[in-house]
Amino acid sequence: MNSVGDECLELKKAYEECFNKWFSEKFLKGQTEDTCAPMFRVYQDCVKKAVKERKLDLWELEKSVLGTEKEKKVPDGSEK
Amino acid sequence: MKIWTSEHVFDHPWETVVKAAWRKYPNPHNTAVVGMDVVDRKVDDKGVLHSHRLLSTAWGMPGWCTRLIGMDRVCYASEHSEVDARNKQFVLKTRNLTFCNVATVDEVLSYSPHPEDSSKTVLRQEAVVTVQGLPLCNKMESLMTDKISKNAGKGRDAMEWVIDKIKTEAQDLSAELSLEAKKLSTEAKKHFDSVMPHVQHSTSTSNSTL
Repeated sequence: MNSVGDECLELKKAYEECFNKWFSEKFLKGQTEDTCAPMFRVYQDCVKKAVKERKLDLWELEKSVLGTEKEKKVPDGSEK
Repeated sequence: MKIWTSEHVFDHPWETVVKAAWRKYPNPHNTAVVGMDVVDRKVDDKGVLHSHRLLSTAWGMPGWCTRLIGMDRVCYASEHSEVDARNKQFVLKTRNLTFCNVATVDEVLSYSPHPEDSSKTVLRQEAVVTVQGLPLCNKMESLMTDKISKNAGKGRDAMEWVIDKIKTEAQDLSAELSLEAKKLSTEAKKHFDSVMPHVQHSTSTSNSTL
């Protein structure tokens, strides 16, 4: 699976391997300390740089959306 | 505005489905998804995992076509999700970033254990499509919700494919370990025989279990 920036691909693969293992063996068993965080930070810096270069408007990068008034809710009601 | 909803039951426990969801791409069903990146991730003080991902999709349309309809060759979507392992809830919310000035698609997926059978998982999907500023808005919205429905079917097939893949990996690993254990046992026996040839040993060997 590619990355938005080709230069981030190796970092992405290494991080994903760490994350899948941590998620399965630690997080789902109640151990919430993210031991992959340092690896993630390096990968994240690369991704943010690539996103900026491609001028993608990911304003949500700086704000959280879920659980705030900015979260879009599906309206009640049937299909129109 | 058009709303589409769907409910599906996976014949697998919640943990299996959630693990597979993170490994969903690439898969042979959703071939349009060409890239996926984690933009942000953290565990909050309630132990809920928040993730923000960027998905890149390419529909394989020629350049003249995408230019004609004003669509980008590669489209992007932003996905926010939360995994609450304690309450077994996994919610994902996705919105397209490109093509936004024409149509907006907001999609919500939620995975939770089946209320009557904890060995199964329920997936609820909702999509809201809004098309503005175009004639035939309703028609366009119907076309898009049809597309969403087809893609949802592909998405579910993709999840089953990933779950099978993970199970096969586990079985292969188990078989490999078993073979290695047998080899080690044979080597150890040879070594023992060469060192102590006069010692009688039992002909039955115990199976080593790992």
